[in-house]
Amino acid sequence: MNETPAPEGTLTARYAHLGSGLIPVEPYISAEYYEREKAHIFKKTWLQVGRVEEIPAAGDYFVKKLDACDTEIIVVRNKQGQIRAMHNVCSHRLNQIAYDRTGHTRKFFCKFHGWAYDLDGNLTGVPDEKCFFGIDFKDYALTRVACDVWQGFIFVNMDPEPKMSLDDFMKPMYGDIEGYPFDKMTVGFAWETVVDCNWKLALDAFQEAYHVAYVHGNSIADAIDRSEGGSMPPLDALCGDLHRRLSLAGNQKSVYGNPKAVTSGGAAASEALSDAGSKRPIAASALRAGIGSARHAFPLDALPKGVNWTQSPNWLFDINVVFPDFYLSLRPNYCQAYNFRPIAHNRTLLEARVYYPEMTTPGGRFFLEYMKVALRDVLLEDLSTLERTQRAAETGVKKFMVLQDNELLVRHSYHVIERLLAEAEAEVNTAVSKAEAVTE
Amino acid sequence: MEQKVIVMAKREARTVPVALPEAFSDLTCFIGTWALPTETQRNTQRHTVGMEAIVEFKDAMLPKVDEVVAWLNQYELASLPEEAKTLMYLLLSFAEIAPAVEFYQQPAVIDGYDPRRFVADETFTMRPAI
Repeated sequence: MNETPAPEGTLTARYAHLGSGLIPVEPYISAEYYEREKAHIFKKTWLQVGRVEEIPAAGDYFVKKLDACDTEIIVVRNKQGQIRAMHNVCSHRLNQIAYDRTGHTRKFFCKFHGWAYDLDGNLTGVPDEKCFFGIDFKDYALTRVACDVWQGFIFVNMDPEPKMSLDDFMKPMYGDIEGYPFDKMTVGFAWETVVDCNWKLALDAFQEAYHVAYVHGNSIADAIDRSEGGSMPPLDALCGDLHRRLSLAGNQKSVYGNPKAVTSGGAAASEALSDAGSKRPIAASALRAGIGSARHAFPLDALPKGVNWTQSPNWLFDINVVFPDFYLSLRPNYCQAYNFRPIAHNRTLLEARVYYPEMTTPGGRFFLEYMKVALRDVLLEDLSTLERTQRAAETGVKKFMVLQDNELLVRHSYHVIERLLAEAEAEVNTAVSKAEAVTE
Repeated sequence: MEQKVIVMAKREARTVPVALPEAFSDLTCFIGTWALPTETQRNTQRHTVGMEAIVEFKDAMLPKVDEVVAWLNQYELASLPEEAKTLMYLLLSFAEIAPAVEFYQQPAVIDGYDPRRFVADETFTMRPAI
């Protein structure tokens, strides 16, 4: 099949280096391809693992299993208030130090032989120390993992010497969304599921809006702003070196499609309620209950300029895909954070979180529950295709997928991974040939 | 031989819910089914009771919902007294059944992923107190 060039004015033409051709299915079904992704991507880049609000006090910690990095890490706040990450492996005989997924502790004690570590991972105590042969405590700390925080999101990097700082990793695409009021969204809900599909196949289902009219036809399709033809084109898309963004408009006459209504009130609320009152009376009652309840104000003009970057008055939300597996969707007064963590080439752990402002009244809490339940059910719609698509992909019947202009982010995702794998493998090959030249 | 005793973790105690305020006494018949403190319990109930029971609950709640909210709003969410919690849980169940009524016209998401596999983390540190 010949590649038809994308016409001028399309998103795809703007990113001509990504081409307009078909996307191979192989990366979604190959165990070997996944091993390459593990080695050259997941073990070499920044991965989002949680928010600072989850561990507010010194000694608070959580444990995160990262199968794609073949490890499990402890993320803990130390006495100075800094966030540290280390592998969950004792320096003595390798038992896991933390057993619980979350907790609070003064020190970590290994339950095998009682070795003790402080909140920075330093070894501070060894029972029967005199029976060892002159061990130096500083040689037996827990193995630290690079860890840094961007806008309250905690990232770790398995590379002992990360190629770039977290700031350099985030800034080129996301510098102009810094200042988004993440810190005012202190109420969170979390869900987890293991889906039998490739991690990219799961992520792809979230990085385009073409599916909304169909997959969400029963639920929130009416929340998206439709064009003349009934389709739901994005306001704009941005593709960077690694990351990608998509901005979407909402139907202002719906509760789900006009999220600003609950914190702006006034005309926005009247507009959201105008249709919902008759079509979705429970939604309308939830919105009425929620207006004025948020602990903080969320004035639209206070959002950083990178959020709703087309300045659309009908803006609904921006999808931000932080390479490789972190989906962050920003709305006027709440945000969603999903990680698609690979477990195997055909198995993915989805960690889904949504963060809302604290509501001061019971009525506001009712509104949050309405929004959360609607979101959760919409997610059940999103997830409904994944295992079926994986099984279909694994038949091998189709070798390629074809993408339309508004699926640009799926195309970009494929190209970024291909490029990084090629670069990393070229580097390895160069190193090998240099080593061979030396030995000859 | 000494018998090994395995102590099972206690199920969440279902204390007898405090009665509803006088003005909402006609909702009393829904307490047993819908006054549930967690999302998981409310969602499980939605998928257990059938659409007829969901609609019956919706029909009872909808005309009263603004009154229910107004009565609850005399309290701060953070310091809700026991007598208000039963009503609060009914209100949260009302949110739980909203998609069944307004999106799907059936209890479950149409063609949806199994909700029992999409597990809410009821111990998540950032969740609200109620």
